[in-house]
Formats: sequence, C-alpha cells, structure tokens
Amino acid sequence: MIDPHHHVGSDDDFSDVANAIAADSAGSGSGSGAEAHTGTNGPVDTLDEEPSWSEFWGGWAMYKEAVYSGAIAGLSLGFLSVYVVLRRMVFVSAAVTQAAGLGVAASFWVAIHFGISLNPAWGATFLSLLTAVLLAGDPKRLGLSREMVLGMVFAFTSGAAVLIGSRIPQETGDIQAILFGNAVVVSPEDLQRLVWTSAGIIALHVWWFRGFAFASFDPISARVQGLPVRMLDLILLLSVGVMVGEVARALGAMPAFAMSTLPGMAALLVVRGPLPVTFAVASILGAMSGVGGYLLAYKKQFSVGPAQTVVAVSLVVIAALVRLGVGVGVRLVRRRRRLAE
Amino acid sequence: MTEAREAEADRWAEGEGGETVVDCKKLKRGCVWLVVGRNGSGKTTFVRTVLGLLRPISGRVVQSSQLRMSYVPQASTIDGTVPVRGGDVAGWGRLRGWGFLRPWKTSADWTAMRRALGDIDASTLERRRFGEMSGGQQQRVLIAQMLAGDAEVAFLDEPTAAMDATSERTTYRRLRELVHARGMAAVVVTHAVAVAAPFADHIAFFDPDDPSQKGGRVHLGDAAEVARDPRFIDFFGVVHAGTEAVGHDEVAGEHD
Repeated sequence: MIDPHHHVGSDDDFSDVANAIAADSAGSGSGSGAEAHTGTNGPVDTLDEEPSWSEFWGGWAMYKEAVYSGAIAGLSLGFLSVYVVLRRMVFVSAAVTQAAGLGVAASFWVAIHFGISLNPAWGATFLSLLTAVLLAGDPKRLGLSREMVLGMVFAFTSGAAVLIGSRIPQETGDIQAILFGNAVVVSPEDLQRLVWTSAGIIALHVWWFRGFAFASFDPISARVQGLPVRMLDLILLLSVGVMVGEVARALGAMPAFAMSTLPGMAALLVVRGPLPVTFAVASILGAMSGVGGYLLAYKKQFSVGPAQTVVAVSLVVIAALVRLGVGVGVRLVRRRRRLAE
Repeated sequence: MTEAREAEADRWAEGEGGETVVDCKKLKRGCVWLVVGRNGSGKTTFVRTVLGLLRPISGRVVQSSQLRMSYVPQASTIDGTVPVRGGDVAGWGRLRGWGFLRPWKTSADWTAMRRALGDIDASTLERRRFGEMSGGQQQRVLIAQMLAGDAEVAFLDEPTAAMDATSERTTYRRLRELVHARGMAAVVVTHAVAVAAPFADHIAFFDPDDPSQKGGRVHLGDAAEVARDPRFIDFFGVVHAGTEAVGHDEVAGEHD
C-alpha cells in the first residue's frame, strides 16, 4: 500500500528537486534523492536560471523513473489513442480520465475521513474501469444515446472531484498535482506497475490486432462473420480505462488524457502506410510526448503534466504542417511535370 | 447433370404467425435471389434481422455458427479516416469467429484476398487507401471481402447503389458468374430491378400493400414467375427476369 499522503507528484516540482541536488552537490551529504523529492517550499534561487543538462544527468538516479514512466505511458496510451481517435472516442477518454481523477480524490477523502488507507492508484483504476464498463453498455435500451451518457458521466465525475476536493483542503495541492500532473519523481513501485500493465495490454492488442481492427472499423461485417464484437469493444474500453487510471495516478490526469488522444491524431496526419505502421508511429509519438515533456519541464521549470501535454499538442501541429507541406510539394512536382510534358 | 446441392444451412426467418419467410436450407448453392419492393417495405430490415443485426419484431431467427455468412452493406461503414487499404478490407473477409487469435495472415489468406480482388476486377485497389476510393470502388472491395471469406450465403444490400448503369450491369453479370462458379447463394437487395432481374434465379417481392393479405405479402419464387405476377408488373412494369441466369443444376455439377 502506498500512503496517499506520499503521492509522488504531490509536493514535488523541479525547483524543490533542484534545490535538493544543489544542496547535495554543496556537500551537505543529506540530500539524497529519496529525501529530496518530498521537500517543499525551500529557497528557489535556481528558478532564476535554467538548470543545465549536466545537472540533469547528475540527478538521473532520481529522475529516471519519471522519464521511463513518461516513455512507457506515452508508448501504450499512444497505441490506444489510434482507436480513440478513429472510433471518435475522444470524449470517452476525457470521461475516463476525469473518473480516474475522481478516483484519486475519493481515495484521499476516504483515507482522511474514515482512516482507511486506500491506494489512490486502485481508486483511479477502479473508477476508470467502472466508467469504461458503463460506456460499453448499450444506452439505447434506456432511450439514451452514448453522448448523453458521456455528458452525464463527465459532468458527474468533474463535479464530484471538485466537491470531494473542497472537503479535504489539506490535500488540495496533491489533488491538483494529480489532476494536472506534476510527476517530477515517480516511485519505482508506480513505474513497475505501469510497466507490467502496459506490457500486458500492448501484448494483448498486438496478439488480437486483426480482431480489434476488424471489430472496431467494420463492426457490422465482423458481427456477421461471428467475431465477438461486444467482447472486443469491452476489452478495448477496459484497456483505455486501465491505462488511463494507471497513468493518471503516476503522471496526472491531464497528460493521461493528452497521451490517449493526441499521438493518434499526429500519426494519422503523417502516416500514409498500413494500419500497423500508424499504431507504431502513434506509440513512438506518445513516448516522445512523455519524455520530451519531462525534459521541457526540467529545462524551463514547468509542471511536468502540462509540459507533456504541450509537447503532445506541438507534435500534432508539426504533423499537420508536415502534411500540408508534403501536399503542397506533391502538387508543385505534379505541376512541373505537367509543364515539362 | 447432377441435382443441385442445397446449402447446408439451418438459418431461417419466420414472419408473423410463424410463417417461414426464408429458409436458407432452401437457398440453393449457385443461386441468386433478389429481394425487391418499394421503399420502406422492409427489405433491409429483413436482411439485417436474418443476419442477427436486428431483433425480430415477432417470430424467431435460428442461427448456426457453422454456416459461413457474409454481408455487403449499402455503403461502407468504414470511416474515411481509417488508414486501411483495399487489401486489408478484402482480407477481413477471411476472419471468422475467433480466427483473430492467430495474429498473422497465412499464405492462403493472401491468396484468397488477391483472388477475390482479381475476380471482381479490383486488383489495382489492393494497395489503395479505402477512404480515398469512390463509392463504386469501395463497393467492389466489399464484394471482394465477401468472396475472400468463401461465404456459403452472402447478403448484399444495394451492392451497386454507387455505380453507374454500365458498371451496375457488369457487376451483376460478374456476381452471377462468381456465385455459380463458387457454389454460394447470394441474396441481393436492390432497387435496380430492371438491371438485376435478368441475372436472378429467384425473386422475393416484398409487397406490404397487397390487398389479398392483411399486412401485405411476400411473393417468393422463380424469378420469371414472380416477374409475371400482376402486382409485380403494377409496381415495376414488365422486366425480363432470369433470362441470363445460369441453371444451378448445371453449375452444381461442377462442384460435385
């Protein structure tokens, strides 16, 4: 069990860590990474000037789990993001992410008010899964559309997270950190869980790739041909739910949402090749968002989650420009050829 | 000539009052069935109910997992942004049941996919992005998907809706040849009765306004016979039905 009061992203930002490293290199002898990352509002002289990369490598032992987590989260959510985008499930991802945030807040609330120590990761994953299952159902039986259910779930989870947050003011910083992502340091336990979860989900998706693709993009023919379309749909939604829950806990809800949507968009803009290549490129772009965002946050002293989100958005913009440029280039070449003929 | 083999099927649809509308056991291999009727007469609903995509309002649909079925919809449901190629879509026809547990395509899958695309004159579409094809090209790829799966019974809903008149006639002729050559049964919903009827062996005419029966009637039978029905002529005029159909007895002999 992880004590919710020791959420890795809670009190951490790069200024605290930089101070700890500075103190360590000044010979204090007590500034080990493990101690440093729980430090709070110390002097922040280092904010005035950008930290150097040599300092980063000096603190690599402390940063590495967070960097690896960003890469793995981006890799796996980037893969799933292709389904999220192509199946027009972006709002599903938003609702699941919001539910993960509520799960974390609820874990803190239960721990404080009932004295029951709940792992926020389980809270995030449980509510993400619950939302995924709810959204996998057929709301038409109740006379509702999926959009209606999505709207209700999103509104409820957003409102409930704020309400619960207001009841635990002493943890507001932690909850904000989780919702927006400030994972300067990730615990080895969180990284390990992220690795195993990602590996399991990606292995299943690679193994069943043909089934997921057929059932996702041509569900009617897939049903006629006897594929278990509903089961595949449910597993896909659960995959998104589990991964978003894990990533929201480890890195924050904002980067979890960004990585579960934006890499897929970027890949679809630049890849003209077969479907598996699109998934591979989305995974790579997701990993680039996770790692690139972390490095940007380190260099510019930003919060990690928003930096990862900004990098993911930037990749979409770059992809759109590349596509535009290629399109213009192709048209120019064709025109020249026509003129030459 | 040997007797025509009946498709080993145990899927049928029953209409109101338990009347059997279509018994797939009676859909002879190598035969083309046309399902025709005015807009809203329930043609597409009927097909989708038989396929298990809709629940029957009454009666029941008995399904057999052993029967290889395929469905070619009116228009592709594949989103234009999905980066799949013609070969991918046609290749999906090979996936049945839990076949996706094998993560790779076998050489038989590749051969069947390419043969299917070739059979429908769509080989050039194998590497072309599906979303960038015209409606008619997409329909040809979907027909190739049906062929690649070696379906025993195929349901095609307006398979030529996006094609011009020449392509329509060519496609029906090719479809009839393939259905006979491959020994499958094809149930084709169409509005292009005049174009399709010559290639049909049987016709199911959905006539909800037939005064002889409350709730309407389905005229079933030999294509030429149904086409002579006064109600059919009232609605579609005189059409030449079954004139270009190949007798299934003749074709069935090829498969024995």
